[in-house]
Amino acid sequence: MAIRIEKSFQIQEPLESVWAFLSDPRKVANCVPGAQVTEQIDEHTYKGLIKVQVGPSVTDYKGQAHIERLDHDSHEIEMVGKGQDVRGKGSASMKMTGSVRSLPQGGSEVVTVSEINVVGLLAQLGARMIHEVSNKMFEQFTANLRRELEKERSKQSGSSASPAEETGNEPQPIKALPIVVSAIGEGIARSVKQIFGGNKDP
Amino acid sequence: MLQKTSAEVGGMGHSVKRKEDLRFVQGKGTYVDDVRLPRMVYGQMIRSPYAHAKITAIRTEAAKNHPGVLAVITGQDLEKAGLSWMPTLFHDKQMVLATGKVLFQSQEVAFVVAEDRYTAADAAELVEVEYEELPVLVNPHKALDADAPILRDDREEKTNQIFHWEVGDRHRTDQELQTAPVRAEVRAVFQRCHPAPLETCGCVADFNPATGRLTVWETSQAPHAHRTLFALVAGIPENNIRIIAPDIGGGFGNKVPIYPGYVCAVVASLQLGRPVKWIETRSENLQSTGFARDYHMTAEVAAEADGKVKALRVKTLADHGAFNAAAQPSKFPAGLFSVCTGSYDFSTAFCEVDGVYTNKAPGGIAYRCSFRVTEAAYLIERVMDVLAAELQIDPVDLRLKNFVPPDKFPYQSPLGWTYDSGNYQAAMNLALEKIGYRELRKEQKEKRERGELMGIGVSSFTEIVGAGPAHTFDIVGIKMFDSCEIRIHPTGKAIARMGTKAQGQGHETTFAQIIAQELGIPVADITVEEGDTDTAPYGLGTYASRSTPTAGAATAMASRKIREKAKKIAGHLLEVSAEDLEWEPGKFYVKGAPSKAKTIQEIAFAAYTNLPPDLEAGLEAVHYYDPPNLTFPFGTYICVLDIDKGTGEIKVRRFVAVDDCGNIINPMIVEGQIHGGLTEGLAIAFMQEIGYDESGNVQGGTFMDYLVPTAVETPNWETGKTCTPSPHHPLGAKGVGESPNVGSPAAFVNAVVDALSHLGVRHIDMPITPWKVWQILKEKGVAE
Repeated sequence: MAIRIEKSFQIQEPLESVWAFLSDPRKVANCVPGAQVTEQIDEHTYKGLIKVQVGPSVTDYKGQAHIERLDHDSHEIEMVGKGQDVRGKGSASMKMTGSVRSLPQGGSEVVTVSEINVVGLLAQLGARMIHEVSNKMFEQFTANLRRELEKERSKQSGSSASPAEETGNEPQPIKALPIVVSAIGEGIARSVKQIFGGNKDP
Repeated sequence: MLQKTSAEVGGMGHSVKRKEDLRFVQGKGTYVDDVRLPRMVYGQMIRSPYAHAKITAIRTEAAKNHPGVLAVITGQDLEKAGLSWMPTLFHDKQMVLATGKVLFQSQEVAFVVAEDRYTAADAAELVEVEYEELPVLVNPHKALDADAPILRDDREEKTNQIFHWEVGDRHRTDQELQTAPVRAEVRAVFQRCHPAPLETCGCVADFNPATGRLTVWETSQAPHAHRTLFALVAGIPENNIRIIAPDIGGGFGNKVPIYPGYVCAVVASLQLGRPVKWIETRSENLQSTGFARDYHMTAEVAAEADGKVKALRVKTLADHGAFNAAAQPSKFPAGLFSVCTGSYDFSTAFCEVDGVYTNKAPGGIAYRCSFRVTEAAYLIERVMDVLAAELQIDPVDLRLKNFVPPDKFPYQSPLGWTYDSGNYQAAMNLALEKIGYRELRKEQKEKRERGELMGIGVSSFTEIVGAGPAHTFDIVGIKMFDSCEIRIHPTGKAIARMGTKAQGQGHETTFAQIIAQELGIPVADITVEEGDTDTAPYGLGTYASRSTPTAGAATAMASRKIREKAKKIAGHLLEVSAEDLEWEPGKFYVKGAPSKAKTIQEIAFAAYTNLPPDLEAGLEAVHYYDPPNLTFPFGTYICVLDIDKGTGEIKVRRFVAVDDCGNIINPMIVEGQIHGGLTEGLAIAFMQEIGYDESGNVQGGTFMDYLVPTAVETPNWETGKTCTPSPHHPLGAKGVGESPNVGSPAAFVNAVVDALSHLGVRHIDMPITPWKVWQILKEKGVAE
């Protein structure tokens, strides 16, 4: 099941610090819900895993990500990743391009385009849900990103970060079912809004 | 002419209440999952998440070390025993557990056996399988492209083509189509669907190492054929195999094939010396066991300007998935699809079918269908409507003009079938009258003027059932006869066993009624038993509406053998020559002296107590019936529906089904069959599809996506009947269980297309969902 997802968000941080963060896969992985970089293979290739929980069973997508292109002048990154669950639930692969630009009124904007292909159990279960699920994931990702960037800034400005937070890098799995449930809720809320509030807000 | 028996005897034509329902309505049936044996353990299948992938490693240690796990079986283990592949029922082979690569999502990869079901399921998660994905082939139209991946590299032929099959006069048909004043064409896909029986497939395999006997309780529509195949494939002597098909919760063709789960359970039981139970989940059933249809068809009709049809050309692509696991007679790669000229008198026809492999679950089985007759009936009934629209003739008038006339039976069809009997006009006229057709057309005209959408769909199908005559019909070499054995006990009660196996059809009642009809023994006194290969005579099982045409006939013939012997005993008891006796159901009496009589019960007692000196004791008979021809039930179905222009929702307002299945054994059961089949037809037309995305992910693999109709979706069915007996069946019966599933999809689709025909719509592929209709309404600018 192939899908294309385009997302953008704005952040009150200067372009340089956002780019420095986004061009480091280890830092990015920390913001992806359930993800963890386990090993760097070479300058542009990393091994990692993403945990997804569907009901009671946890799926480990193990795989690797490779930076195809990293352009520090135009602030663009292109990554391909592929993960497989060895317990036979399937695989997911992704091609993502991301770019950062500074906004005239200050701060920056991040634009990402992802092409995702899911094969296996999740592709069956979530065929109609995957857009909503990815919306949720992206929301969590941007929230994490903001927090991390803020943390870095306060570190630079001298306030000390708690060491416990630093070491707490055992990722919690993404709970796909709660996400799906909340996505269903959102879908319903949206339909209700369409019925009662006209269809200006799809 | 059949003599009518009393209601107490309950012979043919009586709506006897179903004997089997006494246990079913009390929850006292015994299904496979109800079988619990001492020391029984449980199997769990591990399946492929990929549609096409190389297996690079399977790691089973963690699962094997899990507490409670007894065995983990992989394809490599089976390979050592020569069992990693098994033959399908149609000239192909199928992987039991994958070796090397997988070919469809949900394919069987490994089998875990544990002390209980939960442990087995937990341990299945511990088996690690590494895959390397391969290019996936989903679209059958791309299967024969030069750049298509070759899926079955195990075969010598390096192509995805399974077969090419053709029948008829290609040259003459082409000529007629070139020169005909009128041509009509339809391209129709009969989508992949699934029988989704209430009970999924499963088995309990019990190998007893002390006796060397293997007993398998199995959801099988054809237990004897399974026994022979197990003997041939596994090398176990056939006398040491006993297959028991207990109560079955619906089969519809889904329970004809042998599935990898059965083989794995047998292997595990042989290995462990303990009974092994394996029961599918719903998703496993939908995703891996026998699907139906997936026929991509084109039909072209040549006709005169007045609508008289001349020639039919049919070209079809058949998607069989990863293995050709079709369950159908050996000589017919496309089943009985060549009955596609239907009820119409074409002078010539040509039909060709190409079967291809794709990365989908293997099949296809005949879902409540006599081997592709459903696809054929749908296609011809669709193209007749397209022709009617082209000519602007009422579809009913077009059909009446082209029906094979009653005086032409037995009718030789241009594609080689001999239709036994028919009166298509009679069924059509009754259906028209019941529904008030001409008034409905007036109403439709008025509604159209007001902008409302109402459709009337007609389907006048002809079926071909009861496979079949031994000269043409066999499955893996075994001729398609069927059998009955009857024993009359000294007290006049009886037990009868058949080679068929009911899955809800009501054989325990209807076969008893045939004996009641032939011998006058009350239905209440007759026990009918099927499904145990140790006790029942050999037969090919129940599917393709074959039970009444074959085993039903065998039951009549065995009864008649008993009657012949009973006559001799009666002559002995009445001290007259047998020639001086007359029969009426239940007794022999002396010609001209009806009071001098002996009942069948008195005769039965004498068969064990007071025999003539030249006769063997006992009163029993067995008959293997080889039908001289198939039977051809038919009918006319008319559907009236309304479409909501705001939502695309379709409401079936009325549905009249007039069936002609020859002489009827039990009218209540026939009506029940019609209701069930129409409901399935409704689901196929409007709700159901086993779809795949471009990566081969199943899109209809749960009941969340594969919808099953409930009472809420089901309209009120109105039924009617005409009776044109089969001239060659001993009871004049034809078989009916599948007619409604065969005939109704076209009636539904024709009605929807009819509602939209004034907008230029000529065809819509099933399932016709509200979304699909709404898109058309929007495109045509009439959506509200």
